[in-house]
Amino acid sequence: MVELIGIVVALLAGAAGGYGYARRRGARPAAPGQSAEPPAGDPMRGMTEFAGAVAPVWSAQIDSSRVQMESAVGRLTEKFAGIVDNLDSVLTTSSGALHDENAVAFDRSRQRLGEVVGTLNHALTAKRAALEELQTLLDLNDELRQMSGEVTRIAAQTNLLALNAAIEAARVGTAGAAFGVVALEVRELAERSHSTSERISAKVEGVAAAIGSVLASARDSAGREDQAVTYANEEVQAVLEDLRTVLSGLQDSSAELEQAAVGIRADIGQSLVNLQFQDRVGQILEHLRDSVDQFPGVVAEAGERAGEGRTLDPQALLDKLAANYTMAEEREAHKSGAQAAPSESEITFF
Amino acid sequence: MAKTILIVDDSASVRQVVTIALKGAGYDVIAGVDGKDALTKLNGQRIHLIISDVNMPNMDGITFVAEARKLPAYKFTPIIMLTTESQEEKKRQAQAAGAKAWVTKPFQPEQMLSAVAKLIAP
Repeated sequence: MVELIGIVVALLAGAAGGYGYARRRGARPAAPGQSAEPPAGDPMRGMTEFAGAVAPVWSAQIDSSRVQMESAVGRLTEKFAGIVDNLDSVLTTSSGALHDENAVAFDRSRQRLGEVVGTLNHALTAKRAALEELQTLLDLNDELRQMSGEVTRIAAQTNLLALNAAIEAARVGTAGAAFGVVALEVRELAERSHSTSERISAKVEGVAAAIGSVLASARDSAGREDQAVTYANEEVQAVLEDLRTVLSGLQDSSAELEQAAVGIRADIGQSLVNLQFQDRVGQILEHLRDSVDQFPGVVAEAGERAGEGRTLDPQALLDKLAANYTMAEEREAHKSGAQAAPSESEITFF
Repeated sequence: MAKTILIVDDSASVRQVVTIALKGAGYDVIAGVDGKDALTKLNGQRIHLIISDVNMPNMDGITFVAEARKLPAYKFTPIIMLTTESQEEKKRQAQAAGAKAWVTKPFQPEQMLSAVAKLIAP
């Protein structure tokens, strides 16, 4: 664009120079008080009309390009910024859900299930203690059986002794009659003791059978419960391990997605950095537009002052253009007439 | 509590680049499109740092800095000028108006964050 303007300015300057030459060849300058506008058919008048016609079109096209670029880049940066915001939101949600809350929930579930299994184990331990107590009761019952047998034996011996006493009482005759009565009573007591002892033995055997049955049943049940608790514990551990594998897979997958999201965010950030060109190019186009807008005035002024022997001077327009520059590369391009790269960013602290 | 930074620039792309860089570093960001608009943002709310362009329509950056310094709440708020302007004279004017740093565009976000961190503790 700078080159285009330069060419146009040079062409017009050349044409104006020709006009100056024509004037020097005999054309008369406008007298004071007369209109400074060149007469119809004068080359300078044509030049002024030309500049007045084309410059607004150039200016409008430059401004249209600048506005379109600004608008498009603005929308692009807004979209990019939206993507970055969404990525940030996804990153925050993803890391929060899979790295913190789920891991904590998993640990809490494992702890609670461990407590349930522990409670079952405590119940089994208590049951084993009760079984041991029951076994002790069975042992005591055995002692009762032995004691009952002893009573039966004592009753038999007592009966035998009473029989002997009755025989001896009969042998001494009337004098032993009273002793015979006592011996008879003792014998009856012995028989009753024997009868009671047999009943006790029968009861003890009944109790022993009941305790033995309960003990066998309880032992069988405890064995099954022990197996059930062991099975439950193994299942809980297996389920937890499966969940841990799933969670770990999700975390790995999430980490990969996060890594990709971070990479995309960085790429978008760098793309946005590169879009800063719009700000610089926009300013360059603004300066060119302003210069093009000044162009017809400069040509008209040259035409008005042609009578003073002045030609169209491109330097005046170029100086006005240069006065508006803000960037070093604008000045460099202006000076060298070639492309100039943007300067590196600098930071100055006051 | 995140610190708040006001970015003032008539270029939407520059505002977005600065906003993304600052938000990524944990700052809260509010934006103004030129000096006049930015002055309306200085309504007493706590702003820890201002980043302003120099060449803007309606009110240029140097005038904005001078006006901001007249407000007691922002008399000592650090201000970074972020600009394509390369003239030393403009730089001196910005310093005289109360700017604390001058950063030229195009900038890398790391450079901007480094300048911000130097002026306000992160």
